[in-house]
Amino acid sequence: MQTFENAKAGDIVQALAERIIENRAYLSEIDGKIGDGDHGVNMAKGFGLAAERLKDKDASLAEALETLGTVLMTEIGGSMGPLYGVMFTEFAEKIEAVDAIDATAYSRMLHAGLEGIQSIGSAKVGDKTLLDSFVPAVEAFDAAIAAGRSFAEALEALTAAAEAGRDSTRDLVAKIGRASRLGERSLGVLDAGATSCAIILRELSGGARARLR
Amino acid sequence: MDGSDAIPLRYGDDPYVWACWLYYEDGMTQSEIAEAMGVSRATVNSYLADAREKGIVNISIEPARLASLTVAQELKRHFGLTDCLVVPSDDNARPLIDRLGAAGAQALPKLLKSGDTLAVAWGRTVLSVGEHAGITSLQDMTVVQATGGTTASFPYTPELCASAVARAIAARCVNITAPAVVRSPELLQMLLDEPLVREQFATLARSNRVLFGISSLRPNSTIHTSGFFESVSLQDYLAAGAVGVVAGRFIDERGRPVAGPLDHRTVGISLDLLRRIGTRIAVAGGFDKVPALLAALRGGYVNVLITDAATGHGILRADGGTALDSRLSHRPKLVQTLSTYRSHVKKFLNNPNEVVEEMLDGVVKAHEKYLKPINGSHRALAARSGPRPEKVGLVIGGGTGHEPCFLGYVGKGLADAVAVGNIFSSPPPDPIVQCAEAASGGAGVLFVYGNYAGDVMNFEMAAEIAEEKGIRVQTVLTTDDIASSPIEDREGRRGVAGNFFIFKIAGAACDRGLSLEACAAVTRKANLRTYTMGVALEPGAMPQTRRHNFEIGPEDMEVGMGIHGEPGVTRERIRSADEITDSVMDRVFNEMKAAPGDRVAVLVNSFGATPLMELYILFRRVQQRLAAKDILIEANWIGHYCTSLDMVGASITILHLDQELSELLHHPCETAFLKIN
Repeated sequence: MQTFENAKAGDIVQALAERIIENRAYLSEIDGKIGDGDHGVNMAKGFGLAAERLKDKDASLAEALETLGTVLMTEIGGSMGPLYGVMFTEFAEKIEAVDAIDATAYSRMLHAGLEGIQSIGSAKVGDKTLLDSFVPAVEAFDAAIAAGRSFAEALEALTAAAEAGRDSTRDLVAKIGRASRLGERSLGVLDAGATSCAIILRELSGGARARLR
Repeated sequence: MDGSDAIPLRYGDDPYVWACWLYYEDGMTQSEIAEAMGVSRATVNSYLADAREKGIVNISIEPARLASLTVAQELKRHFGLTDCLVVPSDDNARPLIDRLGAAGAQALPKLLKSGDTLAVAWGRTVLSVGEHAGITSLQDMTVVQATGGTTASFPYTPELCASAVARAIAARCVNITAPAVVRSPELLQMLLDEPLVREQFATLARSNRVLFGISSLRPNSTIHTSGFFESVSLQDYLAAGAVGVVAGRFIDERGRPVAGPLDHRTVGISLDLLRRIGTRIAVAGGFDKVPALLAALRGGYVNVLITDAATGHGILRADGGTALDSRLSHRPKLVQTLSTYRSHVKKFLNNPNEVVEEMLDGVVKAHEKYLKPINGSHRALAARSGPRPEKVGLVIGGGTGHEPCFLGYVGKGLADAVAVGNIFSSPPPDPIVQCAEAASGGAGVLFVYGNYAGDVMNFEMAAEIAEEKGIRVQTVLTTDDIASSPIEDREGRRGVAGNFFIFKIAGAACDRGLSLEACAAVTRKANLRTYTMGVALEPGAMPQTRRHNFEIGPEDMEVGMGIHGEPGVTRERIRSADEITDSVMDRVFNEMKAAPGDRVAVLVNSFGATPLMELYILFRRVQQRLAAKDILIEANWIGHYCTSLDMVGASITILHLDQELSELLHHPCETAFLKIN
């Protein structure tokens, strides 16, 4: 059975932060079309702060996720601060006691993060939010495992589904958040939260896949 | 291209430049670029066409220059530097120290500002900066020597370095009149207690910039040749893992201080103090310094680095910066320069990422009479008047970019504390909790803020934490924007300029000593009787990007505009001021069931860039429409009360008064932006 080591896998979070920082301008640009254009800036700030704190720490994945979640939750504000904050903190909590993370633990982690988000936000799939990337990604992962595919294959399926979900937001009308006040005019534009969520899931799952043994 | 990079955009903030880079530099096709940028192929095509037409793409550049530019960008990104200047590695026709000195001298005018206190450490490169610089445009400058003095047996003593830099920038020079290393810890303490030295250290502690070199511990380094330290002590530090020296203090490869025999005998700036200085300029180069420089960067002692390309490259390689080599091996073809084509809005800025901090520095000083930071933080500000025992505390807050909302309404008779977020972004729970604690006088705290998903999440978390701390909290969400949702969904509406009235009523209720429940009830009533609608003519621009975050056509206006620069609900052809006012007032009258003889308060509010002249024109028509219905304006305010950065546009708010609201509206208050009586 494929697993990856929790210890020292905090680098995955560092790489994730780098990717978010690189995409700062891009995320702000898509956000600017139907939102207020600050998504990239705030995300980069939060992820950058967390990366700074994790520097040279040799953290485990659980510790790194906990640091990231806490920074986002307590220091960033906005709507993404609490939403991603709760997601990462839940992720961390679920794998804290797991040394070798297998597909079951990974799935448990994903579900806890998703439930965390749903407990503080009121969005559903189809509302043009980050859930449009997240929910299909988790479903694809579980389906792949249920179909007997390997952990690595399931992680690939997860990433593909997250990105397909992100792309689906182009054809959705926003139901929640500031963009919702635009109604039909939000059509044709990607949702910034769904886009950043797809980046996060790709980086996290890619990092996990690269460490599988 | 590597398919793992879904969105490889990292070339600044300009989509034109991104598109050009991907096309010309990375050789991607237009559809690949469209995929990568998440825009349509037609958009990419028009970006590229526009970029050529406007001359965004034109100049070719010398490869050595581009290499150092790339190294500088990579260093900046990798270490999170504020600025980085890398001089090209040339044929060694000129000594490196000389070239670094010249580069440092070139950078100084950009880094220094009138009124600065610049701490200057000692070293060959620092002296070279002093010798090359010549700035006469700065006023009220102070240069302070960062360490004590040394024997004058070498030409770059601390005294000489400080005075050379002071001369170069026409600054007053404060020397530290004590030796850099003294014989015993007792003597150090005695010296530091001397009033003269104490005064010199007080100046040092006020420094807002620092200029220093970095010394390696190699045998030929400044540290050895200067005789600054006894060689016996140096061995101790080397044995303890020291790899470099910053302003006379030893650090290990991770930048952590290394303890040793000189610690309590060194007169000069401490590493902690150094790290607290805002602008920390290191000028250093040479391959032997790579470990020392890397240590200083890792330790956070540097945020502006001036070095040469070979050293920069060495640092990145030593720290595992792998992306660079492949990028440098790319043969440069084209570089983008922005021509006269206008893609950015002009703003008064220093560091775009620090706008909120810099604004708050100004706010706290300007309104010292009303505001005081809570626990030293500018993100949580309390009223000078302080909480009164048995009075309900009023806490307001939200993102910035709406000034004078929200901090302009803190003071006696109005809000007791304000939590301040980033631009258009709710504050996190922590400052809100601090506000609740500061505002609490034992009778509970009322939270009043606009109905936005982010604010609701953060304020609710804060409310839970405050409750755990034993503070009772009630919340009223403002929902005055009648354009944001139909009347059936009144609770889903957003809070905009009507905040002004709702805060005022809440503050008065609290000041009159009503119970928490009564304060919340009357605030809710005020919210239900406040009607706002806005119209925008031109978009605003975020300071970080200096770009409009949406566009409005030359003949169009956005109706139903909120206060975050988000596009409005419908876009219509622009009409006359009276017609626009009428369409707003028609919708207000539709919802506000006012009878002849009723009284209202009116707020005509600018979104930032619309001048008073036009606001009065709008008010004129508001007054005519109200008068025609025999509705009396009991009070009015016209001006900037709740803005959206530099958006052009205005909103009209009507508060439908009753006896209770009228009394509360006229209740005295004293804040930076609203004073009554």
